[in-house]
Amino acid sequence: MNFPWNKKKSSASVAKDRLRIAIMTDKQNENYPFMEDLKRDIIEVVKKYIEVRDIDIKKEADGEFEALSIDVQVKEK
Amino acid sequence: MIIAIISGKGGVGKTTATANIGLGIAMNGRKCVVVDFDIGQRNLDMILGLENRVVYDMVQVMDGEATLQQGLIKSKSNENLFFLAASQTKDKSVLDSVKIKQLIDELSAQFEYVILDAPAGIESGYEHTIEFADSAIVIVNPEVSSIRDSDRAIGILDSKSQKVKDGEEVDKYLVINRIIPEMVQSGDMLSSEDILEILNIKLLGKVAEDKGVIEASNQGTPIILDPKSIAGAAYQRIASRLCGDNIPIEEPTVLTKGFVGKIKGMFS
Repeated sequence: MNFPWNKKKSSASVAKDRLRIAIMTDKQNENYPFMEDLKRDIIEVVKKYIEVRDIDIKKEADGEFEALSIDVQVKEK
Repeated sequence: MIIAIISGKGGVGKTTATANIGLGIAMNGRKCVVVDFDIGQRNLDMILGLENRVVYDMVQVMDGEATLQQGLIKSKSNENLFFLAASQTKDKSVLDSVKIKQLIDELSAQFEYVILDAPAGIESGYEHTIEFADSAIVIVNPEVSSIRDSDRAIGILDSKSQKVKDGEEVDKYLVINRIIPEMVQSGDMLSSEDILEILNIKLLGKVAEDKGVIEASNQGTPIILDPKSIAGAAYQRIASRLCGDNIPIEEPTVLTKGFVGKIKGMFS
């Protein structure tokens, strides 16, 4: 029973709070579903001008903001 | 209807749920086949009590080493239920989209319900199982790691299934398994409402923890065959809902204790 002197937080509500945060973080770390296609397209475009060694695309999340960082490594001459 | 049974994490009772849901659908008079997609870890045959009858597995059927009719095993307890075993010798890398599509097409021509028991985890074996499913049943335990992994499995379902790629939606249903009503009541186990709020999919059923499930798997007779058992009755309701019956969801209740027990319960 919930008496006022029985202030211990129930473990289920602790679980719920922890899960909410864990799942939100998991979602932020996930890639966009189109990441592989995007990578292929960028290689196609850049290849017209310069030889590409590799491309690395990352989804970065910081609070409400999401950023796409694209790192293009070109072949050395 | 092609239904994938998924879980994210292993050990939540997914294979038991597959066996009981499949048998339950068959008990409703529908032709149903259950396919064990957990390549390398054959389990569903034991739960169904059919381990001695496996001659050919689904990989042999997909590779044309056996016909589908040779691979299909008829259930002992219901003539509407058939089973296709997982391969034990091969690993998950043998799965190939074209062959899976062909197998599933052949099965759906013969059966009204095709139920796929997906492997735990979210690697390639899982992705292949969900690829051609119309709907998915997510089995979850009221416990943090199971819920978190289910959320990831649902995320992959929403990006990798063929239906989603075609611009449609995969129906997702939740079965909460191994609920301990006493713990939910005392606030020490996540309630169904909490879980639904986090996962945000439709609820298909609630199954309370039932020791009878272990006895049933010992004997290879799914618990749904015992309609008086708590879990068996819950699976019967789930199967009937899948067959289109409108049966309200029941909350597993705390078994009534005697008067002294009740008084004790108030202060615990």
